[in-house]
Amino acid sequence: MCQTGGTEGAKEMAEKLESEGFNITTVIVPEEVCDNRVMKKDARNIEEELQHTDAILTLSCGLGVASITEVLSNKFPLIPVFVGTNTEFMGMTERIGRFYMRCQGCGDCLLNETGGICPITTCAKALMNGPCGGMVEGMCEVGNYEKDCGWVLIYKRLKQLGRLDLFSKLREPRNWSESGHQREVVWR
Amino acid sequence: MTEAKSYSKLGEALAKGEFILTGELEPEKTCDLSHTIEEAKQMAPYVIAANVTDSPLGIVTINSMAATHLIQKATGLECVWQMTVRDVNKLGIAGMIMGAQALGIHNILSLTGDHTAMGDLPESKPVFDLDSATLIKLVREMVDKGSINGHEIEDPPKLHVGGAANPNSNPMEPEILKIGRKAEAGCEFIQTQVVYDLDRTIEFLTGIRKYKVPILLGIFPMKSYGIAKGFDTFVPGVSVPKEILAKWKSVKKDVTDKKQQKELYDQYNYDLFKPFIGELKRKKLIDGIHCMAVHYPRIFPKLNDIIRG
Ligand code: SF4
Ligand code: SF4
Repeated sequence: MCQTGGTEGAKEMAEKLESEGFNITTVIVPEEVCDNRVMKKDARNIEEELQHTDAILTLSCGLGVASITEVLSNKFPLIPVFVGTNTEFMGMTERIGRFYMRCQGCGDCLLNETGGICPITTCAKALMNGPCGGMVEGMCEVGNYEKDCGWVLIYKRLKQLGRLDLFSKLREPRNWSESGHQREVVWR
Repeated sequence: MTEAKSYSKLGEALAKGEFILTGELEPEKTCDLSHTIEEAKQMAPYVIAANVTDSPLGIVTINSMAATHLIQKATGLECVWQMTVRDVNKLGIAGMIMGAQALGIHNILSLTGDHTAMGDLPESKPVFDLDSATLIKLVREMVDKGSINGHEIEDPPKLHVGGAANPNSNPMEPEILKIGRKAEAGCEFIQTQVVYDLDRTIEFLTGIRKYKVPILLGIFPMKSYGIAKGFDTFVPGVSVPKEILAKWKSVKKDVTDKKQQKELYDQYNYDLFKPFIGELKRKKLIDGIHCMAVHYPRIFPKLNDIIRG
């Protein structure tokens, strides 16, 4: 989806590894690597190749590594899965090649109070009651005043919506009591 | 003040509505506080209290609570402990507030703090568990209700808590509304960022006066042309007006005698701030002055003249 790998990238990586002396048993491009169901199907199709595989390199985000490891854990528990990309963030796509962090899945969403703009993500200090003194002419001190101050964006949006009452609200600190451990959503 | 009780000289003066002068002390990167203590002694006769900074710009200096305690002990000058929410989480800060009480600290200034990425340990984890408004709220709960998160403190702390405001803020409206949040949180005094633009300052202070929190105006008398120029260049969002810079430059250029230079700088600062402060005082927009010029204690007698005048 983000073309961190894709058919082209995977092929290129395979060639590179081959030129370094690795033996490539197979190259696949699953449709949705983080969906266990899709991965299971794809893994079944390459079981033969997996018999002679010493390691897997994945060009997805970290979720792909976790998903492949779990899917293979019964039949091929000894194959290590390596990550070939650095996961920057789970981003919003403007177009291919332009991705932006807009949500960090914090588990305590307050977008309904902030005009749909996330302060956890757009404020460099993830403040609940910004803007801070680091704002100059609408820009943020972090990154040398090149990025918009998230709290000014929130202010402008709420003003546009006629909801400065929401901006004026004193917000409580984030509740971290649920965030410190492995999170899961299981409803079926 | 919402409470009649005063726990410090600063709290008492604010409650009485006295027009006050406060100073600022900035420990350097050393464990030896003798320089800072020397400055504190020089300003002590003129100020009601002095702030002690908490690693400004994210550049590590001695812990501000420790420095506050040691300066108070060595000089008898009451201090305002500056505490940023940058480096310590809510649990840690609550413990420090109790520690501050035990160390005889009775004023705290709640600040966000410059981001860790800007300082000399940029790889540190930025905490910001609280923010400048919710730290104020925490202090007020601990002091007024004697509890943390509803859990009783046997012998609660007695501190006054203040916050910062930036009249130079552009856009200005979110900054004004933010002061409203701090007031709601229980802020007992406001210290402003340094100002030079009188019209903007009047507009901003008029905007926040409705929150009824005493306001100490931040000023920065410039000790030399070099300091003035450096301030203008390196402090984002605050510029020193050109004509002032030119005047200071002329002292450096045209006056060779060092003593005479010093006297001129001091006199120019007096001439600059007297009408500025006078106008705001007349308009009843401020309740005192907070002088942020560090390492310039000899200016305090002149500032004292201004605020008494
Ligand atoms: S507050 Fe921000 S990070 Fe948290 S869930 Fe909402 S959008 Fe995502
Ligand atoms: S300037 Fe704005 S975005 Fe940057 S840290 Fe402060 S409030 Fe957050």
